[in-house]
Amino acid sequence: MNTTAISSNIQVITGNAAAAIAAKLARPDVVAAYPITPQTEVIEQISSFHASGDMDCELITVEGENSAMNAVMAASLAGGRVFTASSSWGLVFMYDAVLATAGARAPVVMVNVNRETPGIIAVSSGQQDMISTRDAGWIFLIAENCQEIMDLVLQSYRLAEDYDIQLPVMVHYDGFFLSYLSEGVEIPEQETVDQFLSVLKSQPKRTVLRPGEKLGVGTHGILGGYMELRHKHVTAMERSKAKFDAIDQEFADIFGRTYGGQLEEYLTEDADMVLVGSGSMCGTIKSVIDEQREKGVRIGLVKIRMYRPFPHQALVKALKGKKAIGVVDRSLAFGFDGGPIYTELKAFETKLGGAKLVSFIDGIANTDITKTNVKQMIQMTADLADGKDVPEVTWVSYPKANKDKGEK
Amino acid sequence: MAEKNKGRLTKVLDYLKYDDPFSKGVSFCPGCGLELLLRFIPRVLGNDIIITGTPSCSAPVLLGQNKQSWHTLSYFGTLMTGAAANATGLVRYYKKAGIDNTVVCFNGDGTANDIGFGNLSGAAERNEPFIYICYDNEGYMNTGIQKSGTTPYGATTTTTPYGTVHKGKNLRRMNLGVKMAMNKIPYTATATLSDLEDLAKKLLKAKKAKERGFCFLHVFAPCPTGWGANPADTIEICRQAVKTNYFPLWEAENGKIRMTKTVKKPKPVSSYTKLMKKFNHMTDADLQILQDDVEYETCLLGGLSVLEAECQLPVSAQD
Ligand SMILES: Cc1ncc(C[n+]2csc(CCOP(=O)(O)OP(=O)(O)O)c2C)c(N)n1
Ligand code: SF4
Repeated sequence: MNTTAISSNIQVITGNAAAAIAAKLARPDVVAAYPITPQTEVIEQISSFHASGDMDCELITVEGENSAMNAVMAASLAGGRVFTASSSWGLVFMYDAVLATAGARAPVVMVNVNRETPGIIAVSSGQQDMISTRDAGWIFLIAENCQEIMDLVLQSYRLAEDYDIQLPVMVHYDGFFLSYLSEGVEIPEQETVDQFLSVLKSQPKRTVLRPGEKLGVGTHGILGGYMELRHKHVTAMERSKAKFDAIDQEFADIFGRTYGGQLEEYLTEDADMVLVGSGSMCGTIKSVIDEQREKGVRIGLVKIRMYRPFPHQALVKALKGKKAIGVVDRSLAFGFDGGPIYTELKAFETKLGGAKLVSFIDGIANTDITKTNVKQMIQMTADLADGKDVPEVTWVSYPKANKDKGEK
Repeated sequence: MAEKNKGRLTKVLDYLKYDDPFSKGVSFCPGCGLELLLRFIPRVLGNDIIITGTPSCSAPVLLGQNKQSWHTLSYFGTLMTGAAANATGLVRYYKKAGIDNTVVCFNGDGTANDIGFGNLSGAAERNEPFIYICYDNEGYMNTGIQKSGTTPYGATTTTTPYGTVHKGKNLRRMNLGVKMAMNKIPYTATATLSDLEDLAKKLLKAKKAKERGFCFLHVFAPCPTGWGANPADTIEICRQAVKTNYFPLWEAENGKIRMTKTVKKPKPVSSYTKLMKKFNHMTDADLQILQDDVEYETCLLGGLSVLEAECQLPVSAQD
């Protein structure tokens, strides 16, 4: 394989490198981070940019992730542009500060490299860390490949720091599958990124914590005051949906790449059946869809790019009238039949115009979501569309689970 | 005698250069040590400090409620777990943006010594340029007087009550000040409310020293409510804590410890413990354990100050 640069601004780099370079291009004032596999490379790269003078930020090499989140939250509230990165236990160890950051509406941007978190220490991919923090009040975006990691980090600053939004944004990408995958990534010019982010400078100044300016942050807000803030938080989250679509459009105009905003739809228009997925699995799904289409199977993909706020309106629009929908989750929802995204989509079932839903659980703990697995999912979704009896939940790479279920 | 007292009082007032930014009636208990300290800090350091604080007894006043506030300082209400990291984020951004600042991270001993110690320690290692002030009321007072790492041997709290089997805390207290000084940060000091000149000088030294990095002040701050003491005795309690060597006053520059008040003939610790109810149940034998502990700490401090005077920290490792 040719690993040298294809052209001056396309380089073969890992997903982690894409995140680090995107962070550099965004010119943050303060970066704080702590290493964890598979995120470590992100902060190593940033440290080397910093050491060589390529990145003019305050770099805080903290003693733990909780401090990383606290430091960037405070720097952000003081008016700075900030960045951090973590994964799995690191994200969970930040948890109280993750909630505080959202509640304080600090426009922090971070990447979370998805990794499992159960007590059986799985140094492996899975979205359970993301699911465990999904209602913290952050905007959650999910990248499919290394290019999208780069692009989403840049888009995130526009979303987080937008005067009408002012919320923290987390960009998730699959650990191992994307963190260490080297792909050709088009690295934008600094001036182009500056231009893309310059919109933020022309917006009204947000309120910031400065010496002598008599501002309090983190007041006891109780009774009506608290309700008001929570409601404003929820409505800002709702506003972020259309804003994200608009930012994606603008990004397309400047950088020539578009993903469709909240959702990317792949051959859904004429499809009878749709798979709903997120992250790196979508590349595999698309290639299987291409093969199936040649055989005349009318299958499409809806890729969730924005996971919080949950893009239910966009999903309903994309899925309405389909015969059958298979939802692929890389994590679990306890007490529900089916994975978390499946469960959330179920809440809108009545709006889907009779579409039937099935849940696929796969890709946990680094299990590959192979083309064979995807073919099986498409077959089962087709069976469902044909009115055949299909189990509601299928653990694709662990058939024993499907048998066990019957033996309850 | 009266003349002399008057002279001393004037000297303290000399340090109070700024207005008291706190409202007259605030929701602390009468005689609260932390309130006196909190009012004192901005009067010495200025009203343009940014003060940060965690959930604690200081929170209701520091943090205000909804749009109401008890003071006119800029402040950041933080979590117990991350106070020093929050302050770090603030000073680093101000540094990047070229904004002059004095960030005072003001927390109880529970935050500083226990749940928030990890990030306090990290901030010390990185020598972050702010002032961390721990008011030590020797317990978690805001949640209803539970023991902390700095609660002394024998003291009763709601989690170390007097019972038929256990009689108060059966562990010794941790020495937070020495722990911090050993990080060789630019400035560490202990202080209390009976020696206000000493306290004011140390605050000002910290303000200067923070230009070189992290400063830590460990301030003994009685809690009449939690300790079962007369609110009128707060200052006397501080005085006795110093006179018995229960809470010695010292400072350390880059870890070099120097006593700022030497107690020639220390009084027995009982002249301190008798001022409050939390030690009431202690027998002479129990009190001897506390006395031994105080003597051990005094000896250690003396030893450290001699040793530190002899040792030279490499210049490159100082800041
Ligand atoms: C993570 C966390 N655990 C527990 C609490 C509950 N809590 C509130 S105040 C407090 C005690 C604080 O003690 P300290 O820092 O010594 O301050 P003081 O109350 O003595 O002023 C505790 C445990 C909390 N706010 N956060
Ligand atoms: S409980 Fe103690 S520390 Fe808290 S306000 Fe009352 S006197 Fe002060």
